[in-house]
Amino acid sequence: MSEKRIKDWFMSQSLDHPKRTIIITLLISILMGSGLQFFKIEDDMMKMIPEDIDTRRVWEEVKEEFGNTEMIFVAFGERGTSAYNREAMAELWDFTEVVEASPLIEEVISLSNMNRMESVDDFLEVDDLVPSRDLNSNEIVSIKNYLDGNPDIKKRVLGKHGDFFNVVVKPQEGSNDQAVVKLLHEYADTHLQEYEVHFGGPPYLTGLVGDLIRVDMVVLIRIGLLGMVLILLWSLRSFIGVGMIVAVIVLSLGSMMGAMGWIYNLTKSDNFVFTIMNTSMPIILLTIANSDGVHFLTKFFKKLRQTKDKRKAIEMSMHSLMLPIFLTSITTSAAFLSLLFAPIEVMAGYGYTIAIGIMWAWILSTTLLPSLIMLTNWKMDSKAISHPGLLERMVDNIGKEILKAPRLVLTAGLIVVLIGAYGLSALNVEVNIKTFFDEEHAIPQSLSFLDDEMVGSMDYTFRIEGDLKDPKTLKKMVRLQEYMEEHPKISISISIADIIKQMHRTIMDDDPVFETIPDERDKVNNLFTMYSMSGDPDDFSSLVNYDYTVGLVTVMSKNMSTQAAEIYVGEVKKFIEQEINGEMEITTTGMLPVLGDMVDMVISSSFRSIFASIIVVSLIAGFFFRRIGWGLLAVIPLSSAVILNFGFMGLFNIDLNHVTAVLSSVIIGVGVDFAIHYISQYRRSVKTVKDPDILSREVIDEVGYPIVLDALSNMAFAALLFSQFLPVRHMGGLMVFAMISTSVGTLTLLASVMELLRRNKKIYNRLIRGN
Amino acid sequence: MKKRIILLLIISSAFGQTGIEIAKMVDAKPSPKDMSNTTRMVLTNAKGKSRTNVMVSKSLDGNKKQIIWFLEPKDDKGVAFLKIEHSDKDDEMRMWLPAFKKIRRISSKKKGDSFMGSDLSYEDLSNRDLDENEYIRLDDETINGVDCFVLEITPKKEAKSSYIKHTSWIDKNSLMAVKEKSYDKSGALKKKKEFSHREMKGYFVMKRVFVEDVQKNRTTEVAFEDVQVDMGIQASLFQEKNLKRLPRN
Repeated sequence: MSEKRIKDWFMSQSLDHPKRTIIITLLISILMGSGLQFFKIEDDMMKMIPEDIDTRRVWEEVKEEFGNTEMIFVAFGERGTSAYNREAMAELWDFTEVVEASPLIEEVISLSNMNRMESVDDFLEVDDLVPSRDLNSNEIVSIKNYLDGNPDIKKRVLGKHGDFFNVVVKPQEGSNDQAVVKLLHEYADTHLQEYEVHFGGPPYLTGLVGDLIRVDMVVLIRIGLLGMVLILLWSLRSFIGVGMIVAVIVLSLGSMMGAMGWIYNLTKSDNFVFTIMNTSMPIILLTIANSDGVHFLTKFFKKLRQTKDKRKAIEMSMHSLMLPIFLTSITTSAAFLSLLFAPIEVMAGYGYTIAIGIMWAWILSTTLLPSLIMLTNWKMDSKAISHPGLLERMVDNIGKEILKAPRLVLTAGLIVVLIGAYGLSALNVEVNIKTFFDEEHAIPQSLSFLDDEMVGSMDYTFRIEGDLKDPKTLKKMVRLQEYMEEHPKISISISIADIIKQMHRTIMDDDPVFETIPDERDKVNNLFTMYSMSGDPDDFSSLVNYDYTVGLVTVMSKNMSTQAAEIYVGEVKKFIEQEINGEMEITTTGMLPVLGDMVDMVISSSFRSIFASIIVVSLIAGFFFRRIGWGLLAVIPLSSAVILNFGFMGLFNIDLNHVTAVLSSVIIGVGVDFAIHYISQYRRSVKTVKDPDILSREVIDEVGYPIVLDALSNMAFAALLFSQFLPVRHMGGLMVFAMISTSVGTLTLLASVMELLRRNKKIYNRLIRGN
Repeated sequence: MKKRIILLLIISSAFGQTGIEIAKMVDAKPSPKDMSNTTRMVLTNAKGKSRTNVMVSKSLDGNKKQIIWFLEPKDDKGVAFLKIEHSDKDDEMRMWLPAFKKIRRISSKKKGDSFMGSDLSYEDLSNRDLDENEYIRLDDETINGVDCFVLEITPKKEAKSSYIKHTSWIDKNSLMAVKEKSYDKSGALKKKKEFSHREMKGYFVMKRVFVEDVQKNRTTEVAFEDVQVDMGIQASLFQEKNLKRLPRN
């Protein structure tokens, strides 16, 4: 089908069957939007790691063998008051019991349900450390003495100053983290209302952040829409026109989110779960859908002003804008689809979903919007139609100035880009969720508390495959733990070797000299058998598998920056290669190695998507403009904007992470629209303008105002500045900056480059006139 | 023959009895003075992995005194265990650990603890004290063709049980349990047990026990082989010194 026939078909739908077109587009939007019922919000960093990466693979293996190893930490107490008191111990007992009874919870570990293993008068005793809810003073003293004699156990259940209890909660495998967080908050409100309570741990953050994302998304959409409506009202001066654009935006938004829900429901892929990263998605679509509408409506007003004929004005607008709007939609979608090349797989879900939203917004802008315009009675004497606005006049004047000195404008632009390029070297990657919030926010506050008073909330898990009854293996585990604990941020490590050491000491009359791994395998066997006669074998189930062939060493760390984690993980790997590997195979997982993995993935995600999108966008533009030269020209302003953007992130210490990594796609996807509108108009004007000297002037006359208006209404990105997540806020600021840099880049760099090219007769004839 | 007549007399008086009366009859049924067997215990975890323990057991006074020598797995060979129950104080439990050449006493305070890593707890293995439980007779049922009394047994506080109640199916003929369901403190089903028994020298003795922990999705099957009763085992066998080596007979 030829381009003309497609255009005619679309025009016919809106001009001849506007009501039918409106009903059909509404019904399809409702159908897509109905997927919202399956919409899932969650932010689990582990799920961002591809399944073939070791950290993720080992995590899955560990889950399969040992059940859920992710822990929530609940610390409560009264600062300065010893936790060894009747009331606090009774509250701990009640809290432990009530949480443990929930079907959402697999296990609770607290002082209340710990075992005491000790040797008394030649008597090995494995018994409850806390015998009952209501304790007498002798019992409390006995508990205190036992913990004082076993500092490693004490560290797990009591704070550094002895005034806070630490309760470790393991949610059931597959339980909803948000439901678990809600449950813990409810229980804490009921049982621990008189205490200071802190929460932490990956499932807690995942559960809590899910709720925060939901709130954030609603707030941001409202602010974004409001800001956009105000800007549009100021510039378009037409309530009904703005209402039509808002209708396109709301329908696109609902359809995109619904589509995400549908895809998640059909594929069950975690790539289609709404995460912190996706928080920016509605605002981005909102601005893209808005751009399509703005270009169409301003063109319509201009043509209506000239022709005074509604049908003719729609025809002319559709005729001149269908290709550029389609092209901008295709290139923007392509830029987002470049996220498929990102190793962080959820970014692919982001790309797919927003591409669907963009294409649907395009269909609505070329069907629903002209149909609504067709059914509306426009007053020819209204200000919106009869007079150009202040902004339109301003842009015309600036355009004239730019074209007077294209060389100077180009040089100035290049200098700014070079300054940006200098900042690239200072770019820092930080994916630690603690840095995603203001310091005063409850989440970093609680995490800091867990770091300062408890064992921290970051884990590093070692899966050890070997003969776990062999003293050599066990001694190497001990060596690994000793090495890990040398690091100042590491607070504690736990493994089956610790239990064996403790049992060995106990059986040897509690002599600390024997807190070691026995030298003979038979002795290790005897210790296990003895424990099975007096303790619950499930006590080991989180440390060693049924066959004693796979064990876990779990290391708890205080918060580390991503860079520090990456360095530390590298050091540990080196240590294992040099000193540990041999009789056993060690693989690792947990938050610390995940942070390390994320660094490489964030960087490669950013750069792969930049290169892929630039190449794809220039190829698409080159294809539709039938000259690859046009494609290359189209990416000039946005390549500069990308360099500027990431360079300024480095200069202003804004971290690159999985949230801000999508920025390149946004800049390229949205920024290319301006260049495409400019080039489309240039190619059209070349055929109608006789004097080449006024060609650029004519182009700016036609598209300068819509580009600036488009960029201005895209200031709705600023809504992201109201997010409670710092990276999303950074994104908001950077996108505002990107809109300015790409639109200004188009009207300065691209305009001056094209003007300079035009002055070269050879290029003018070959590229521009297409001879 | 005498034991058989006593049993028949007990059973014939059972019809129309209350729960506690049936429990008393079960408690009063004749049992061997001593018993010896080879116990084969197969533990299967939730993933279907199994571990087999084989041990020789000798007991006296209805298991009140018991000594066990481990034969398998190879890792446990030589380990031995002695248990002596007391009605007025905590039970005594001792273990011989050959690698350490030491005998160690171990705690018996936690009745709910698992016995040898199995799904049977010490409480499951102990005889129930009639005074520490309440017995309600439910409607009789037939299980696999066996006519059974059905009792609901609720441990009293002094029993310090880890269960809230049990439902027990008791063969009217042998007064041996054939099936039991045990419920945890929250009232949820915790364990399902099945028992089979054989008649020997006028006694009914346990042949096989199958326990399923429905919450942990694990099972334990215990088979009693080479069973001998009333062999004249002496009380002197149940001493620490006898833990160190397996007797020849």
